[in-house]
Amino acid sequence: MEWSRFFRRHRVDEELSREIDAHIEIETEQNIARGMSPEEARYAARRKLGSTRRIREDVYSMNTVGFLETLLQDLKYGLRVLRRSPGFTAVTVLTLALGIGANTAIFSIVDAVFLRPLPFPHSDRIFVVDRVGNRFGGHSLSMPMFLAWRRDSQMFEHFALVSWQGPESLSGDSGEPERIRSIGVSTEFFPALGVQPAIGLGFQPDQGRVGGPRVALLSDGLWRTRFGAAPSVIGRTVRMDDESYTIIGVMPRDLELPLPGMRNAQVFVPIRIPDDSQDPSNGGLLCVGLLKPGVAPEQAASALTPALSELRTRFPNMFTPEEKAHLELLRTFIGDWAGPAPLLLFGAVGLVLLIACANVANLSLARSTSRQREIAVRAAMGAGRRRIVRQLLTESTLLAILGGLVGLAVCYASFGAIIGLVPTSIPHVGAYQIDLRVLAFALLLSLVTGLLFGLAPAVGASRVGLSASLQESNTRSGGGRGRLRRGLAVAEVSISAVLLIGAALALESFSSVMHVPPGFDVNNLSSVDFSLSPKQYDTPEKRAAFIGDAITRLEALPGVESVAMTSSLPLRGGPDTLFSIVGRPEPTNLNEAPDALFRVVSPEYFHTLRIPVERGRMFADSDNASSQAVMIINRAMAQWLWPEGDALGQHIWVGKPMGPAYTEPSAREIVGIVADAREMTLAEPPFPTMYLPASQSPGTNGGSFLVRAGAVSAASIRSVLTQFDAQHPVGQVQTMDQTLMASVTDWRFRAILLTLFGALALFIATIGVYGVISYWVAQRTHEIGIRMALGATRRDVLGLVIGQGVLLALIGVVVGVVAAAELTRFMADMLYGVKPTDPLTFAGMSLLLIIVALLACYVPARRAMRVDPMVALRYE
Amino acid sequence: MPKRGAPPLDGELLQGTLDMLILQTLILGPAHGHTIAYAIERRSEEVLQVEHGSLYPALHRLEARGWIASFWGTSENNRKARYYRLTKVGRSRLSAQTSRWEQLVRAINRVLRPVTD
Repeated sequence: MEWSRFFRRHRVDEELSREIDAHIEIETEQNIARGMSPEEARYAARRKLGSTRRIREDVYSMNTVGFLETLLQDLKYGLRVLRRSPGFTAVTVLTLALGIGANTAIFSIVDAVFLRPLPFPHSDRIFVVDRVGNRFGGHSLSMPMFLAWRRDSQMFEHFALVSWQGPESLSGDSGEPERIRSIGVSTEFFPALGVQPAIGLGFQPDQGRVGGPRVALLSDGLWRTRFGAAPSVIGRTVRMDDESYTIIGVMPRDLELPLPGMRNAQVFVPIRIPDDSQDPSNGGLLCVGLLKPGVAPEQAASALTPALSELRTRFPNMFTPEEKAHLELLRTFIGDWAGPAPLLLFGAVGLVLLIACANVANLSLARSTSRQREIAVRAAMGAGRRRIVRQLLTESTLLAILGGLVGLAVCYASFGAIIGLVPTSIPHVGAYQIDLRVLAFALLLSLVTGLLFGLAPAVGASRVGLSASLQESNTRSGGGRGRLRRGLAVAEVSISAVLLIGAALALESFSSVMHVPPGFDVNNLSSVDFSLSPKQYDTPEKRAAFIGDAITRLEALPGVESVAMTSSLPLRGGPDTLFSIVGRPEPTNLNEAPDALFRVVSPEYFHTLRIPVERGRMFADSDNASSQAVMIINRAMAQWLWPEGDALGQHIWVGKPMGPAYTEPSAREIVGIVADAREMTLAEPPFPTMYLPASQSPGTNGGSFLVRAGAVSAASIRSVLTQFDAQHPVGQVQTMDQTLMASVTDWRFRAILLTLFGALALFIATIGVYGVISYWVAQRTHEIGIRMALGATRRDVLGLVIGQGVLLALIGVVVGVVAAAELTRFMADMLYGVKPTDPLTFAGMSLLLIIVALLACYVPARRAMRVDPMVALRYE
Repeated sequence: MPKRGAPPLDGELLQGTLDMLILQTLILGPAHGHTIAYAIERRSEEVLQVEHGSLYPALHRLEARGWIASFWGTSENNRKARYYRLTKVGRSRLSAQTSRWEQLVRAINRVLRPVTD
């Protein structure tokens, strides 16, 4: 209404002056009828009306600034009110700032992981193609599968393959040899994403074939750091993993592949896709396709499923009859991979904000009670109810926005620390940052917060009965309001209980994980990764010679106790494989074949890691290529497969269920059983593991050396390895402590943040309880005075006040504990060594809350004890 | 120009009261600004003096809220004049405001009631 008039204001003005003219005419006529002369009559009419100009201005301004002016008025008034009560304003703004700041920081994570759209055109049509219904689970794709699917991919515009494996070393130019992160992509991959190089050309079809030219695309980052951002880099030749590659282009600066583990790729090389493949291994491949417009993903999936049954006839051991093709939006895939931790934190931080809102609503209620008369006077002066609600809401929104601004400052200040805790394994789209989306979220949050905590007090205040308030001579009113306030305090305590219990469970889990004995001696143990170029080390003898040589030279370093080699470091997971047990029936279905982790190790492995041999023996030099093939298994595997009998002397045939291509030449005899070490992560129970001697595993071309030494410099370890080949980069030396900490980052992330939020909740709820009890005491000064005058002791008064607080806390804790028992179930997967309903945790946190509530009551209680009966009574 | 009874009230009418009086006047039928002003004065037995200068902004405000509507018509003396009439919303607002007013009056009366009561 007001706005439409705004645009018609000139016409309205014109009509108004005509209307006023008419008024003067009528008045003049009547004056003449009363006997005045025409001159006199007109003058009197004008005088009676007053300045016509003034009237026109009034109406004109009504149509221009009406709404804005009211807002401005409300804002000015609101600011004045807030300035007049700096304590209230400070507490409110601080409380809201903590809530909004923490929410904004966590939202930036949730946004990047789950919400932010992919930075690619047609991202609503980019799908990850996978199979379901196989024990290998998702993301187990083989080259024959890709070839069959690509043949049937008529529903896709582009059908592409991407591989985590690519060259690992870069040399052959002016710079130092360097280890690089690279990935392989089929030539269709970047077209599927809709990304083109910023400089140079994309991959051409012939570059993706076996025997085609070897070319590479650089990331913008590598191009700048290593090649000085020189455009002349196009056409230059570099060496990567002993092959020559021609650089054909540089990718755009903002390209960040959001796929897990690919974010920091520095070099992209084409996967050389064969015409046919007999290799059904699941080797770190991912299939990505751009659907044609209008094609449903289910439609495309059912078109790809027949290829799987066809493959099953070719590789009966690798496919099951239940398999189906499955399409998942790339965006969803990323969020699924990230897991529920960011959402858990978002939920927790949302609860913190809810507590903050309840707290501020509480403070506002207390204040609106004391402002009741001010409001009643305004109502009596003709302010409508809507107008009063609007004024109060303007005030609360003003507070919320102030809180939001300070909250943003809190968020900026803590952002680096929070983001530093996020495990790098969580894939996300774009960097974690406070961008426009996050700012918009903070603003929206502030506004919603303002409404949330402002509405109840505002509506309550405006409903105040006029006559009741005008007669009221003091502030001892609003029993119903008091109930609402205590209800809010109870809600705060109960939500805090939920958060504290969640935080305590996460903290206990982290602590339990950190106390898990890893099964080997972590102290004074370092590791360094190595890889052997397939050209230079092309025979098993050369590879074995390198490993033996490197171990000897590392052992010669001063201070080194012992050195070992392993294909995969403990605590970092690693490959597993299927096997058969000689003398037991072969499983008919691939899904029933047993599997175990396997590690290829040098004989000194168990000695160096201090993993005790429980039965049998360690590997010896006599275990070589010509002797009986042997293996050592861990206790978990022995107990799993031979719970009653003896594992020693049994024979295991590695890879047999997967078909001839994967089957070792002979079965291996189990010669030893070692204690369990945590091979996957600290939190995962010992997984059945097979250790194979390096001397009988001719394929080993990479892994890690483990160095046990009291004091040895990382540089001296690296220098030993660089001696072998100056052109071959050597990895960083890591202590086992670092590896261990890296394996628990997600536990740490959840524990630290949940504890932070729990503490925040406790803090805010404490202010809440303190506020309610202080107010209660202030309201009852009179009553307390009478009680003391009638002989109540200070102890009685103390008991009275503390009793009030404890009652609030108890109800809150009971409600909170019940809610927590329901909610912590959702954390079950993220807990270790503690049940979601651990009674000790629940009891401990309840006690903590009650004690803190007691402390919060103590200050007002002391104030109550010091009430002077005389003063209190005279006060009325 | 008070003639009889109580002298006119000083100063402005309470904000919102004029609105109510205008609405009440229009209940009898459409009228133009001049008529409305005199009708209020007559009905209050000249106690309430409508300041003509504030009448028009008030009419305008009421129209903006949709409580009254206006049209151009011909006055008794054959002049073009702007007439106002009560809308449906205005009618219901009037009854709401009237009852609010009565509440207020009762409340103030209670406060002012003699102490001996």
